[in-house]
Amino acid sequence: MAEKHQDKKKKETILDLGKYLDKKIRVKFSGGREVSGVLKGFDPLLNIVLDSTIEYMRDMDDPYKMTNETRALGLVVCRGTSVILISPQDGMEEIQNPFANA
Amino acid sequence: MSNVLEPLVNRNTLINKLNISSNYRKFTDTVSVITSDGRIILGVLRGFDQTINLVLDDSYERVFSMNGVEQVKLGVFVIRGDNVAIVGEVDEDVDRQIDLTHVRADPLLPIVH
Amino acid sequence: MLPLSLLKTAINHPMLVELKNGETYNGHLASCDAWMNVYLTQVICTSRDGDRFWKIPECYIRGSTIKYLRIPDEVVENYKDEPSRGQQIRKDQMRRGAGSGQRGGRGGQSNRGGRQPSNLSSNVGGSTNSIGGARPAKQQRR
Repeated sequence: MAEKHQDKKKKETILDLGKYLDKKIRVKFSGGREVSGVLKGFDPLLNIVLDSTIEYMRDMDDPYKMTNETRALGLVVCRGTSVILISPQDGMEEIQNPFANA
Repeated sequence: MSNVLEPLVNRNTLINKLNISSNYRKFTDTVSVITSDGRIILGVLRGFDQTINLVLDDSYERVFSMNGVEQVKLGVFVIRGDNVAIVGEVDEDVDRQIDLTHVRADPLLPIVH
Repeated sequence: MLPLSLLKTAINHPMLVELKNGETYNGHLASCDAWMNVYLTQVICTSRDGDRFWKIPECYIRGSTIKYLRIPDEVVENYKDEPSRGQQIRKDQMRRGAGSGQRGGRGGQSNRGGRQPSNLSSNVGGSTNSIGGARPAKQQRR
């Protein structure tokens, strides 16, 4: 029975957040907010608990433009329905235009 | 029934062809799709589902501007239904007669949510 | 050719995903599901205005935020070549058609009102079930 339940769970999600536990992840929200923090917990609906969270602030006049400003949010619960993107923070870096000669 | 509504129930309408296509008969009509962000994309409709997600083959975008029309090749394109505003069948004979080098038009504005 | 099964065929292929917020993600599709949620690896993220770029090892994107996906041409050829593809999908569609036909019909009637639109929408939704099949007879009556 328990095993069967596990199987079903696997089908429901293509993302195993377990591998990011206690690791820094980046989360983008619908509406444009963007944070990173240490993953402390999650559920199948993608509700997420983050610790030592940092929010990346956006330009006041152009909400699509990221600035280098951040603010600390500490321990937060992210609502799953508004999460649009999750990626590990490790290995994420800004780069030069890789399509420049394409 | 008025004449205006007549085309909607004709067996050759796009919607009827779409139904036929879901029976896996080969479906090779070019359609024009206007997306909610104001893009105009033409391509061969290869498939769709109940949420109007579309599969377009050999697709290209027509980018209108006051400097002329640019056609950008896109290849195989899957458009999410949320983003589809209009799907229309293209009469390719009529379409070929349009000389796009002389067309000048502002691009469409996106839909405001 | 159903969009979502084409997407499944595209697993392990490179693709471009544009989100509703205008950001684009170039990467290899690792997996996807029935909600069009996708998991990409070796990703390059491009900002909305196309002047900033990020390298991301892997990322999960919620399907509902996707605007469109660009898929390599060869995926369509793979799709056609997959054996017993037709049969499999037909079964798949019959299952889905039975459920979605009802939903489509209800939605059309309650949202739109008026004979013509509700008729059309129920037809789109129920394209593969008996409601859709019965349509030509209805037309002749009218």
